[in-house]
Amino acid sequence: MSENAKKFEGLKVIMIGAHPDDCELKAGATAALWASQGASVRLMSLTNGDAGHHISGGGALARRRMQESERSAEILGVSSLVLDYHDGELTPSLEVRRDVIRAIRSWQADIVISPRPNDYHPDHRYASMVVADAAYMVLVPNVCPDLPPLEANPVFMYFPDHFRKPAPFSPDVIVDATPAMEKKIRSLDAMDSQMYEWLPWIDRQLDEVPVEPEQRIEYLKKFWKDHFHSSANEFKDLLTQRYGAERADQVNYAEAFELCEYGCQPERNELWEMFPY
Amino acid sequence: MRVIMLGAHPDDSEYYAGGTAVKWAASGVDVQIIAISGGDAGHQSEGGGALARRRAEESVRSANVLGVSWRTLDFHDGGVIPSLEVREAVIRAIRDWRADIVISHRPNDYHPDHRYAGMVMQDAAYLVAVPNICPDTPRLEKNPVFMYFLDEFQRPYPFRADVAVDVGDVMKTKYDALHQMDSQMYEWLPWMDGRIDEVPDDDEGRRKWLETYMEPDFLRWTDNHRDALAGRYGDSQAAGAKFSESFELCEYGHQPSRDQLWEMFPR
Repeated sequence: MSENAKKFEGLKVIMIGAHPDDCELKAGATAALWASQGASVRLMSLTNGDAGHHISGGGALARRRMQESERSAEILGVSSLVLDYHDGELTPSLEVRRDVIRAIRSWQADIVISPRPNDYHPDHRYASMVVADAAYMVLVPNVCPDLPPLEANPVFMYFPDHFRKPAPFSPDVIVDATPAMEKKIRSLDAMDSQMYEWLPWIDRQLDEVPVEPEQRIEYLKKFWKDHFHSSANEFKDLLTQRYGAERADQVNYAEAFELCEYGCQPERNELWEMFPY
Repeated sequence: MRVIMLGAHPDDSEYYAGGTAVKWAASGVDVQIIAISGGDAGHQSEGGGALARRRAEESVRSANVLGVSWRTLDFHDGGVIPSLEVREAVIRAIRDWRADIVISHRPNDYHPDHRYAGMVMQDAAYLVAVPNICPDTPRLEKNPVFMYFLDEFQRPYPFRADVAVDVGDVMKTKYDALHQMDSQMYEWLPWMDGRIDEVPDDDEGRRKWLETYMEPDFLRWTDNHRDALAGRYGDSQAAGAKFSESFELCEYGHQPSRDQLWEMFPR
């Protein structure tokens, strides 16, 4: 365990989502596993999430979600940063690009993870474009000259999604998330405004949400059950390659990532070494 | 015939298509190389207007070696986005040159300026024929053929060589043209690659080193698209070819048949 605890000492990971809960949903368990083994992980949201509710909104909602993100990050053992762009209005502008370049540089990131450019939400797609646009620029001293460029290009990765065109998600690394699922669920439980209000409302099941804290956790597990199982089911082959058939059979929850063609291009073995096992 | 190449930076068109440009120019085709950005971020210790001026001088020298015309649209390096302003500048440039062929990057190259240059070319591909767009510059009567430079990215789909040009016999001129771009070939690019220590000090040594520095890329381009070369030149010339430049036909704009397309490119 002590060896494990240090395995990722010095590794810096930044996940860049569009909203405060994107990174936690897609990769909360991997984030927690990295953090518990010494990596410094930051979960960043480009928007403040101020449109993600059916009743509240604006600054009041943004403040609430920022506090939720902090609580959630504490549970995962990571750092949280929420930029202040408006929810639903993210565009791949030079302004957002510069903020992303600065965020990656100031975190000294070795790994950057973001959505793919063909996810369903425009904010997700543009978050992806902006991160791709930063992938080379983090090295260029004349771009954002107020911060020194990175010496080594980070590895850029994508979160999974289910969209097929122009190309489906194709995982390059998969992580057994089972050991950190409790933490992931509790980190999501900290985001009341989303897990127990907005998402059930948009899914037309608000009246199913329990009031009692313990029942809520059970509801949360049920709500996300298929979603959290899906990577383990769909990418069983990759899971078997990385963990062997015996362990792969027992994996209930997995988180998968695809390598972006921009940025550092590690060999598969090198890539797998960088991710929690 | 008139050809315009829309590179994102001063050196992109020369690097991807310098050999083809030489051959066209030698056969009487009017070729213009446009740098959408002035390249004012492409250096480890210089920048801004001073660097843009230096790169403009290098590019004009390089264009003289190739026998082509050169100009820049002067947008900032690292700041090319698919805005209406860039689009209109590109529409006017294509119209002013009365281009029959327009060539730019694919929209999935590694550099955001390359990707957005590709998008802007696509955005211009229909509008160059629309009189109410940029009404200050007469529209083109005939939609040009739009083509992409080669790149090696696979997603969402890999580059397809619709036409390949054997440039082995003009490689010396292509290298001579690139050799004019000191700020890039001997300073910025090797610095970025961690190879700045290898660069010789003297002009002759540099010119020699440039070939060893660039050759692996150029050889790979040919190896990866030898089939396209074989279609056009026959198996035996294709098998012996060392250096080629390939281009993909864009789906927007004029769609020539394969034979027509091959006729438009130099042999």
